[in-house]
Amino acid sequence: MTTDTGALPVADRRTVRRAAARLVRADGRAFAAALALNALAAGAGIVGPWLVGRIVDEVRAGRGAAAVDRLALWILLCALAQLVLARWARYVAHRFGERTLARVRETFVERLLGLPASVVERAGTGDLTARGTADVATVGTTLRDIGPELLVYAVQALFVLGAVFALSPWLGLFGLLGLTPVWLAVRWYLRRARDAYLAEGAATSAVAEIVAATAAGARTVEAFRLRKARTAASREALEVSRRSRYRTLGLRTVFFPSVEISYTIPVAGVLLVGGWLHGRGLIGLGAVVAGALYMRQFTDPLDMVLMRLEQLQSSGASFARVEGIAEAPRAPVDPARNPADDRIEVRGVRYAYERGGEVLRGVDLTVRPGERLAVVGASGAGKTTLSRLLAGIDAPASGSVTVGGVPVAELEPARLRRQVVLVTQEHHVFLGSVRDNLLIAEPGATDEELWRALVAVGADGWVRELPEGLDTGLGQGGRVTDGSQAQQLALARVVLADPHTLILDEATALLDPATARHTERGLAAVLAGRTVIAIAHRLHTAHDADRVAVMEDGLVTELGTHDELVAADGAYAALWRTWHGDGGTV
Amino acid sequence: MIDAYGDPGIPDTRGGWRYLWWLALRQPGRSLAGAVFGSAWLVLMAAQPYLLSRAVDDGLVPGRLGVLAAWTGAMFAAGVGCAWLSIMRHRTMTRVRMDANFRTVKLVVEHAARLGAALPRRVGAGEVVTVGVGDVQTLAQALTVMGPGVGSVVVYSVVAAQLLTISGPVAAVVLLGVPVIALLTGPLTRRLQGTETEYRERQGILTARIGDLAGGLRVLGGLGGKSLFADAFARDSGRLREQGYRVGAVTSWVQALGLGLPTLFLAAVTWLAARLAAQGAITVGELVSVYGYAAVLIGPVAFFVEMNYDLNRAVVAARRVVALLRLEPEPDDGTLTAPGHPAELHDPASGVRVAPGRLTALVAARSADTTAVVDRLGRYGPTDALWGGVRLDAVPLAEVRERVLVADNEADLFAGPLLETVSAGRLADEAAVRRAVRAAVAEDVVRGLPDGLDTVVSGQGRSLSGGQRQRVRLARALLADPEVLLAVEPTSALDAHTESAVAHRLREAREGRTTLVTSTSPLLLDVADTVLFLVDGKVAASGPHRLLLDREKGYRALVARDLGDGEVSR
Repeated sequence: MTTDTGALPVADRRTVRRAAARLVRADGRAFAAALALNALAAGAGIVGPWLVGRIVDEVRAGRGAAAVDRLALWILLCALAQLVLARWARYVAHRFGERTLARVRETFVERLLGLPASVVERAGTGDLTARGTADVATVGTTLRDIGPELLVYAVQALFVLGAVFALSPWLGLFGLLGLTPVWLAVRWYLRRARDAYLAEGAATSAVAEIVAATAAGARTVEAFRLRKARTAASREALEVSRRSRYRTLGLRTVFFPSVEISYTIPVAGVLLVGGWLHGRGLIGLGAVVAGALYMRQFTDPLDMVLMRLEQLQSSGASFARVEGIAEAPRAPVDPARNPADDRIEVRGVRYAYERGGEVLRGVDLTVRPGERLAVVGASGAGKTTLSRLLAGIDAPASGSVTVGGVPVAELEPARLRRQVVLVTQEHHVFLGSVRDNLLIAEPGATDEELWRALVAVGADGWVRELPEGLDTGLGQGGRVTDGSQAQQLALARVVLADPHTLILDEATALLDPATARHTERGLAAVLAGRTVIAIAHRLHTAHDADRVAVMEDGLVTELGTHDELVAADGAYAALWRTWHGDGGTV
Repeated sequence: MIDAYGDPGIPDTRGGWRYLWWLALRQPGRSLAGAVFGSAWLVLMAAQPYLLSRAVDDGLVPGRLGVLAAWTGAMFAAGVGCAWLSIMRHRTMTRVRMDANFRTVKLVVEHAARLGAALPRRVGAGEVVTVGVGDVQTLAQALTVMGPGVGSVVVYSVVAAQLLTISGPVAAVVLLGVPVIALLTGPLTRRLQGTETEYRERQGILTARIGDLAGGLRVLGGLGGKSLFADAFARDSGRLREQGYRVGAVTSWVQALGLGLPTLFLAAVTWLAARLAAQGAITVGELVSVYGYAAVLIGPVAFFVEMNYDLNRAVVAARRVVALLRLEPEPDDGTLTAPGHPAELHDPASGVRVAPGRLTALVAARSADTTAVVDRLGRYGPTDALWGGVRLDAVPLAEVRERVLVADNEADLFAGPLLETVSAGRLADEAAVRRAVRAAVAEDVVRGLPDGLDTVVSGQGRSLSGGQRQRVRLARALLADPEVLLAVEPTSALDAHTESAVAHRLREAREGRTTLVTSTSPLLLDVADTVLFLVDGKVAASGPHRLLLDREKGYRALVARDLGDGEVSR
C-alpha cells in the first residue's frame, strides 16, 4: 500500500469486485426484479422479426390479407408490450441505482469522517475532495444511467442471440462465431483507451485553464508584458491537446472499422448457411429471413454495450478510489484515557516529513498552566510542526507530547477539545446554518450558550441582523461570510469548546489592518484565562508573552522571558533590535 | 493537418452565424470532404436493406445458392465500404471540430492578452472562462452539421427515391412518419434534461457538501462534532434519493417512449407493407427492404432534428465569442515624449511624489487608498499623474509599461516551471534569476521544490504557501528590473524574520532605482528613504519612519498597532 508516501490507498481489483457484489446483494431483490423485467421487455422485442419471418412464409403460401393482419397485429401488440415493460424495467433499475448511489456516498462520508487528522493532512484536501466529488459523481453516473442501460442492452443482445439459436442452432453458432473479431477489437481498444482519454481530458483542461488564467490575470499580463508569452503558452497547450486528440482518434480509427466490419460477418454468415440449409429443406425460408434480421438487430444493443464499456471501465477506477479510503489507517484513539491535569509536556520529540529531512530534532518543552508562551523562529525552523504536534494533529516519530500524562494525538476529538485547540487563521466555514457551524464544538449547547459565545467574540451584531438569525445558511447558495466574520465564527467555536490551552498560529498575517481590528477584541476574549502557546510571526506577540522559545533548525535554542533573552544578546536579541528600532517608541 | 501554432486569421465578428460560417470557410476542403463522406456513408448504409432484399428475392427464394452468395458478398463489401466511409467521415469531422476549437481558443487568448488590464473592467473573468471551457466545445460540435448533417438530407432523398419505386403509399407513410416521430421524440429527450435539472442541482449541493467536509476535516478533527455532519449528510442524501425516485418515474417513461415510438411506427409500416405483399403489390424481398429502410431512416432524421438544437446553442456561444473579440483596448493616443532619464512621479490627487532613485514607502489605514494611488501612478485606469512634469496619459502606453512596473500583491502567477514564472516571458540567465530569488529571500522556496527552478508550479501558485507565493512575485518583479517599481504590500504574508531579510535585500537590489512600496510594517518602513503617510487618500505627513513614529500620533497608532497592543495583550 502507498500510505507511507502520504497518498490515500486505492482498492485493488478483488476488493472492488467484492465491494460491488456487496452493493448488489444489499438490494438483491430490486436487482433481480430489474433483470427479470428487462428480460421480459427484450423478449417482447424479439418477437417482431420472428413475426416478419412468419408473414413472409404466409405471403409465400398465398394465405391472403386476413392471416397477415393477425400476425401484424401481434407485431404491434408486442411493440406496445415492449414499451410498457421497458418503462417498468428502467424504473426499477433507476430506483436500484439511486438507492445504491446513496449508500455509496453515505458510506464514503462516514469513512471520511473517521479518518485521523494526520492522514487527512498528509493526503491533502485535494485528493479527498476529488474522491468525494468527481469520483463519487462518476460512480453515480454509472449507477443511475450507464448501469441500467448496460443491463437493458446486454439482456437484449443475449435474447436476440438466443432467438437465433432457437430458430436454428446452426445459424446461432455461425452468428456467434462471426462475433469473435468484435471481441478481439474490444480487448485491444480497452487496454489503451483509458489512459489515452484521460490524457485528452487533462490536455483539454489545461487549455481551458490557460484561457481562464489569461483572462483572470489580464492585468498581470499587461504589467509584465506577457502577451507573447501567454500566446506561446496557449499554443504549447494546444499542441499537447492536438497530440492527445490524434492519439485517441488513432485508437478509434482501428476500433470503429474493425467492429463495424465484424457486424456484417454474422449477417452474411446466417444468410449463406441459412440458404444452404434451406436448399436441403432443413429450415424454412421464414427462419432464414428472421435470422438475418435478428443478426442485424443484434448489432444495435451490442453497439450500445461497447460504447458504454469504456465508461464502465473508468467508473471502475473511480470506484476503486472511493473504496480505497476504507483501507486508510485508523486513528489510534483511546476513548478510555483521561488527562490527569492541564500540564503539557514535550519530551525528546523528533519528527520528519516524507520528503526532506528531520524538521524537529529533539525538542523538550514544558508548558506551565496559565502562562503565555511565544514560539519564534524563521520559516522552516519547525514552529508550525511543533504546533501541529501540540494540537494532536499528528504524533511525533519519537519522544512524546502529553497533556496530563496522556499522548495528545490519542485523545478522541470530544475529549481533545476540552484540552487543546489550535487556532489558525485558515478558518473553514461549513455549508450549513450558523448554528451548525457552532454546534460542532459543543453539540449539546443551548441557543443561549451559542449567543453568549457570539457576544464574546463580537459577532452577535451581524448574526442578529441575518434574516433567519442562527438558522441562516452560510456558504454556497446561502450567505457569504467575509474574512473577519469567518474568523469570528472560528473563535466562537473555541469559546464553546472551552479548552484550557490554546495554540495560536499567526501563520498568515491579515492583509488589511482594518480587518484585523475587527477580530482582535474577539481574540482577546477567547484568550482570557487560558494557557496560550503563540506561534509568533510578529514580534510584539513575543514581547508581551510570559516566556519566549526561540526555534532554530528543529531545536529550541533559547527559552526565557523577553527581557532575559534580550539581555542574553543571542539570536532573539538581534531580531528584536531590528524590529523595534533603536530607541523607538512602543 | 491541424496546426497548434499557426495564425488563426481574422475572424468575422459581425455576428454569431457569421462567425460559425467563417469557421467552416477557413477549412473549405475539409468541410466539403466531411459532407461527401457523411453522405456517401449514409447512402451506402441505406443500400444494405436493398442488397438484403435482392439476396432474399433472387437467391434465397428461388434457391439459387450462387446468386445468394453473390448478393451476400455484395452486402459484405458494402459493409466494409460503410466502415471505411464511416471512419473517414469521423476522422474528417474530428479535424473540422479541432480546427474550429483551436482557432477560437487562439483568438480568445490572443485577444484577452491584447486587452490586458482593460479586460477585467469590461467583462467578468467568468464570462471568458465560459468561453474557454464550454463555448469552444459547443461551437466545434455544431460544425458536425457540415458532414453528417448534409449526409442525412442526402440519404433521406435517396431512400425516398427507392421507396417510391416500391410503393407510393408506403413511401408516403415512411417519408412523413419518420420526421414526425423524430419531432415527437426530440422534445421528449429535452424534457428529460429539464426534469433532471433540479435533481442535478441538489446533487451539486450534496457534492459541494462532501468537498466542504473534506476541506473542513481538520477543524472537525480538532473540535469533534463529526456525528452532527454525518447525520445531516445522511438526511440530505436520503432526500436526494427520494427526489431521484420522482425523476426516475418520469425519465423511465421518456426513455421508454423514445425507443418505443419508433418501434411502434416500424410495426405499423410492416403491417402496411405486409398487406401489400399479401395482395401481391410488392414482393417478399421488397417487404423485407421496407422494414429495413424505415429502420435506417430513423437514425439520420433524429440526428438532423437534434442538429438544429445544437446549431442554436452554438450560435449563442458564437455570439459570446464575438462579443469578446469585438472589445477594443482602451485608446492609447499619447504622443508626448516621456522624460529621457529617471524622473519624479507625481500624483496630484493625493500629493504623493516618488523621488527618482530613492525608496519611498506609502502608508494608509485603508489599503484601498494606497492601491488607488498606485493605480494612478502606474496608469491603470484614468489618471492625471505627472512623470517628470509630463502627463502620464499623454505618453505612449508602451513606454509607460516598459519603464514603470506595478507589482500587485495578488498579481497572477501562471502555471509553468518556476524559472519561467520568475523570468516572466523574458530570456534571463540563471545567475540573474538566482540573484532575484536571493533578493526576494525565496531561496528556501526553490530549495523546497523537487526540481528546484525547473519544478512546474501550478496555476496561481496553488502548490505554494501564501508567503512563498508572495516572495516568488517579488522575485519576478525584481528580475524585471524596471526603472520604476511600484510594489503593493510586498511582505504582508511573511513572518518577522523573513520580512526583515526581505526589507534589507529589497533595498540593496533597488539601490539607485526608483521604488515605491505600500506597507504598514515597521520592518519595511524602516528601510525606506521617505515614508508618505496618507490620511483619507491625501499625504498628511512625510519623512523617515523614525521621525514619523516620534511626531505623528496617527502614524504611530497605525504602525504601532503592529508593534504594541497586539493579539497577546493583557
